[in-house]
Amino acid sequence: METFDKLQILSGAARYDASCASSGSRRDGSAYGTGNTSRSGICHSWSDDGRCISLLKILLSNDCIYDCAYCVNRVTNPVPRASFSAREVVDLTMEFYRRNYIEGLFLSSAVMQSPDQTMERMVSVAQLLRNEERFGGYIHLKIIPGSSSELVSRAGLFADRISVNIELPSSESLKRLAPQKGKQAILEPMSLIGKEIRNSIVERKVSRRAPRFAPAGQSTQMIVGASPESDFQILKLSQGLYRKMNLKRVYYSAFVPVNEDNRLPVLASPPLLREHRLYQADWLMRFYGFSAEEILSDDVPNLEESFDPKTAWALRHPEFFPVEINRADYAALLRVPGIGLTSARRIVAARRFSIITPESLKKIGVVMKRAKYFITCSGRTFEKIDRQQALLKSRFLLGDGGDTAVKKPPKQLILSGLFS
Amino acid sequence: MSRYLYDGTVEGLLSVAARMLAESSEPEQATLDERQNTLFEDGVFIETDAAAAEMFFSRLRQEAPDAAHTFYFFILAEKEGMETSLLRYLILALRHGNKVNGNLADAAVRDIITVARKAQRELHRFKGILRFEKLRDGAYLAKMEPDHNILQPLAGYFSSRLRAEDWFIYDVRRRTAARWHSGTLRLGTIEQFTAPALSEDELRIQALWQTFFRTIAIPDRKNFRLQKSNMPMKYWRYLTEKQEL
Ligand code: SF4
Repeated sequence: METFDKLQILSGAARYDASCASSGSRRDGSAYGTGNTSRSGICHSWSDDGRCISLLKILLSNDCIYDCAYCVNRVTNPVPRASFSAREVVDLTMEFYRRNYIEGLFLSSAVMQSPDQTMERMVSVAQLLRNEERFGGYIHLKIIPGSSSELVSRAGLFADRISVNIELPSSESLKRLAPQKGKQAILEPMSLIGKEIRNSIVERKVSRRAPRFAPAGQSTQMIVGASPESDFQILKLSQGLYRKMNLKRVYYSAFVPVNEDNRLPVLASPPLLREHRLYQADWLMRFYGFSAEEILSDDVPNLEESFDPKTAWALRHPEFFPVEINRADYAALLRVPGIGLTSARRIVAARRFSIITPESLKKIGVVMKRAKYFITCSGRTFEKIDRQQALLKSRFLLGDGGDTAVKKPPKQLILSGLFS
Repeated sequence: MSRYLYDGTVEGLLSVAARMLAESSEPEQATLDERQNTLFEDGVFIETDAAAAEMFFSRLRQEAPDAAHTFYFFILAEKEGMETSLLRYLILALRHGNKVNGNLADAAVRDIITVARKAQRELHRFKGILRFEKLRDGAYLAKMEPDHNILQPLAGYFSSRLRAEDWFIYDVRRRTAARWHSGTLRLGTIEQFTAPALSEDELRIQALWQTFFRTIAIPDRKNFRLQKSNMPMKYWRYLTEKQEL
C-alpha cells in the first residue's frame, strides 16, 4: 500500500482524538539535531473544521484484535485496515517538521498482534526519532493497555508526554464495553508513569544529567455518555487523577454512536453540551481553586444545562457576594462570574497604582454584563443584588447575564476516543 | 507645554527621552513629532545623540526589562505618529520599573502595549504558519509577508529550532532576508529575488501534507468561519496546505 493511502486511513482514524496540546515541555534539543519544543505550544494550521493542527496525529495501525463496543476499529467492523512501519512514521515526521508543518508527533495505535508487540513498534518510532534523527521536537505516545512496564518506562524516556486512556468512568463500564481491557491494565501503567515522573524530577534536582521522563506530564481521556455514571462521579474521578496520579489533563469526549450494539445507549445526538460543561467544571478545578464537592454533590449529581458551573455556584452562594473589587484577594475575585484568570490578575496589578474605577473595569477585560450582579467597586453597586434567586436566575436565562444561557449547543471540541 | 521634534529614527527618539530624563521634565507636559522640515513647524529639534540613546536603552533593559521588551516589539510594529505616547511610556518605565505594564489605566501605556502586543502576536503566529520548501541544493526557503517587521526575532527562533538545516526566510514586501548557514545567522536585504528550483521530492511531501490536512478535519463539522478567524486569509498565500498543486 502507498504511503498516501496509509496516511489517509491512519490520520482519518486519529482525527477524533482530543489531546492536541503540544505545550508544557521545554526541550532544547542537541546541538546538531533538529527541533525543540516550546512551553506555550504552537498551532501550525487550522483544519476545515476550525481546529488547531499542531501535531502529526496518526495511528501506527488500525488493524485491531480487540472488540470495544464504542470503537470503529474494533475487530468485528468491516473497515479498510492499514499499518505503518516505524521508518515510514519517522520519515513523515522529519519531512513535515523541517518544513514547519508541525510541532511533532502524536502516535497512537490499535492493538495489532498483542499489546507488547504494538507498544514495541511505537517505542521504536520514538527511539529512532530521538537517537538516529536527533529529533528534539514534541512526541506524545499513547500507551497500549496491558503493555509491559519495561516498555512503558522506555516510552517515557523518549516521549514528552505519554498517556493511557482511562476510556470509561468506572470499572463496571469498562468490563461491559471494553472487555479485553482490564482496569488494572490501565491503572498500572498510569501509576507507574506517575512514579517515574516524580522520580525523574527528584533525580534531576540532584543532577541535571539525569534522564527526563515525560517532561510534559501525563494525560488521559474518557468517553462520556456511553455508560451511566453521573457528572459528580466523573469529576471526583478526575479530581483523584489530578491529585493522586499527578495528571496534567483529563480529556472528555462525548460518546458518538458508530456501531450498533445493544450494550450501548441509543442517543439522538452526542451529549455535546454535557461534554462542554464537564470541561468548564474541570477548568474550575484546575485553575480556579474549586473542588469537585463544591461544584456538585450527591443531591445535585449533574451539571446544570442552563448555566456554566461557575455561575451555578455563584447563584447557590449569595452569602459570598458582593465581592469588593478594590479589596478582595485574588482567590475571591476568581469566584466572580465574568472575571477570568487574566482580568483577576490585571485587577490585582492595577490596584497597585490607583483605585479601580467602574470605567476601568471594562478595559481590564471584566465582562460587566455578568459581573455586575456580584461586585461592588469602592462600595458602589452596579445592579441591585437581588437576593431572590429565582429572579436573578431568570435574568441570566433571558440573556441579560451574557453568554451563560445556552441558545445553541456548543460545537463539540472533539469526538469520542475511538481507539486506544 | 513643550513641543519636541526629532529625526524619526529610534535613536533620535531615545535621545529625546534621555534628554527629558536628564532635565527631569514632566512627560505630561511634552509632545513629540517627527520633523517634517516645513517652514511653519514649531518646536525644539533635539539632535540625535547615539551615545545617550544607547545609555538610555541599557538603563531601560536593566531597570525595566519587560518595558524594554515591549519597546522592542513596538518598534517592530513600525507604527507612526505615536511618539508622544511612547515618550511618556519610556519615562514612566524608568520611574516605575516593570510595574509600568500593569498600569493599564494610563492611556499612553495602554496604547503602546496594545501595539506591541499585536507585533508579538504576529510573531507567535508566524512561528506556526511559516512554511519552508526544500530547494534543489538541499537548503530550505520560506517566504512571508507579515504586517510587522518580525524577521529578526523570527529568524532567531528558527535558528534554535532548525539548527541542523540550511535555510532562508524572505520578507517579500520589505525585501529583507535571514540566512542560517552552518551555525551562523545573517540578516540583509535582497534587491533581486529569483525563485530557485525545488528539490525533486518537494511536491510529493507537499501533497502528503495536504492529504493529512484534509483528512484530519472532521467531515460533518466543517467550520470555515472559525478556520478563517484563526488563520486569516491574508496569510494563505504562502501556506502549503492552501495551494493548488
Ligand atoms: S478502542 Fe482501541 S483496542 Fe478497542 S477496538 Fe478500538 S482500537 Fe481496538
